[in-house]
Amino acid sequence: MSEKRLIGNEQITPITEEGTEYDFYFGPAHSGSGNFGVKLKVDGEKIISARADPGYLHRGFEKLMEYRIPMQNAVISDRLCVLEPLNWNLVHAEAVDELTGVEIPERARYIRVLMAELSRLQSHLIWYGVMSLALGFDTGFKIAFGYRDYVLDIFEFITGGRVYPAGYICPGGVRRDLPVGYQEKIMNLLRQTEEMMQKIKDFDNVVFARRAKGVGILKLEDALRLGATGPVLRACGMKTDVRKDDPYEIYDELDFDIPTEKEGDAYARCLIRDREMEESIKIIKQVLERMPAGKVRQPEKITPPKRVKIPEGEVYVRNEIARGEAGIYMRSVGEREPYRVKVRGPDFLHMIPVLEHLLKGYQIADVPAIYWSLNICPADMDR
Amino acid sequence: MTETPGKEDKLIEKISSKFKIEGKVQRERRIWVATDKESLIALCNFAKGLGFEHLSAISVTDWPEEGTFELTYHLWSYLEKILLTIKTKIDRANPVIDSVVPIWNESAQIHERELHELFGVEFKGNEDLAPLFLEDWGGPPPFRKDFNWRDYVREREYDKANEREKAYWE
Repeated sequence: MSEKRLIGNEQITPITEEGTEYDFYFGPAHSGSGNFGVKLKVDGEKIISARADPGYLHRGFEKLMEYRIPMQNAVISDRLCVLEPLNWNLVHAEAVDELTGVEIPERARYIRVLMAELSRLQSHLIWYGVMSLALGFDTGFKIAFGYRDYVLDIFEFITGGRVYPAGYICPGGVRRDLPVGYQEKIMNLLRQTEEMMQKIKDFDNVVFARRAKGVGILKLEDALRLGATGPVLRACGMKTDVRKDDPYEIYDELDFDIPTEKEGDAYARCLIRDREMEESIKIIKQVLERMPAGKVRQPEKITPPKRVKIPEGEVYVRNEIARGEAGIYMRSVGEREPYRVKVRGPDFLHMIPVLEHLLKGYQIADVPAIYWSLNICPADMDR
Repeated sequence: MTETPGKEDKLIEKISSKFKIEGKVQRERRIWVATDKESLIALCNFAKGLGFEHLSAISVTDWPEEGTFELTYHLWSYLEKILLTIKTKIDRANPVIDSVVPIWNESAQIHERELHELFGVEFKGNEDLAPLFLEDWGGPPPFRKDFNWRDYVREREYDKANEREKAYWE
């Protein structure tokens, strides 16, 4: 193993009488995400350098998936990110579908997009909650989490699970059809979410603008160099979205915009997410309107897993999840289990290079604002 | 979205006119090329020049029977809207490869650091290959195919003197 062990065994720099430089640990247990630490070197209140300390949630999913069949992996893929399991379900299912070459029924593709967008909406509500909490605005946190529960009600109604859908979006389609009366319930949910978003607008400028404006500025060239994707990149002025550029499922048939901002600061990233929620609502309405009838899985009956083998081949699938670009590289040698699975989470880049870069030069008090403006999830970084 | 037909084929032609590669178009927006270890860096530089600015991921596949590690570099072009995957094989007994940090900077750095820890691949030119996820890990790189974590844990943790542990381990 390399000698350069900086995290873990290194001793804390003592505070000397004349010196003002010292080490400051943010995490690994902190309000917000937890399970992730940043080791800061600070001079007084100012951050000189930052070093991410990941690994608290490393569960070795890539290796676990090599020992399991796709239907089991679909359930594992839930746990790739606590905050948006359905989106990760979808990435995994698409990788397997591309290898097997199964034609996904039209209705299943609509349901997949519906669930992915509801999941994005739910994830952005969590983000709004924890961002408020990080900025000391407790009311926002409570309200956002309250409204998020309405989305979870819908998840429970459709998938059976509130947070983890247990692989609802599975290879070949989705596990079961939408229950009776889903349209009404989802339309009602959208009304509630719109009400919440009106509240967000009313709260605006009170805390958010003061704490987030001009903080954590990311320039476009830096963002590209550091591997930023999704809302973080769009906040720097880059108009890119995997749903438009590399469309999957039925996204090329839907009408929606890609919001962008120019400033690249924490506040711009907040605005992007706010507008993305509006776009998600727009997408969900279109999907509900056009929802076709038919089967929801191909093949309809589950074959005994012993007989199902993944055809030989390799694929790389990219999806736009709430946090950025998610990818899965899957290699199969014609066995029941995939030979190799590589999971590429957006937060692997956002939490290590981007965060380390952004924190430099700001005050300790800005750490939560920068940290949460990236909307990060340690689970998909550590995998 | 309407795409100009055949832009994937054109790109492969462009690359193969300069490099000795095996390339194929998998589908719309997906290109796979295989090259040897020596021309990897030149090819990556060329790809970046073509607009493949975003290094989406680097992955390693372990082939113990063949005695190789296969590295795959997944590159996305914001301009062309194509995903290019560059594959190359290195010797498993001596897993050393030139780093792509000079080309894709920090985003490559962190991927290489992870793969160094999980597969034991040495990236020449990457200055920071400190352990990332596994704290105080003394075993072999755990994502290699020949690493059996059940045996590893059993060997280290099974206390044979303790009767109660027998039910779990035996």
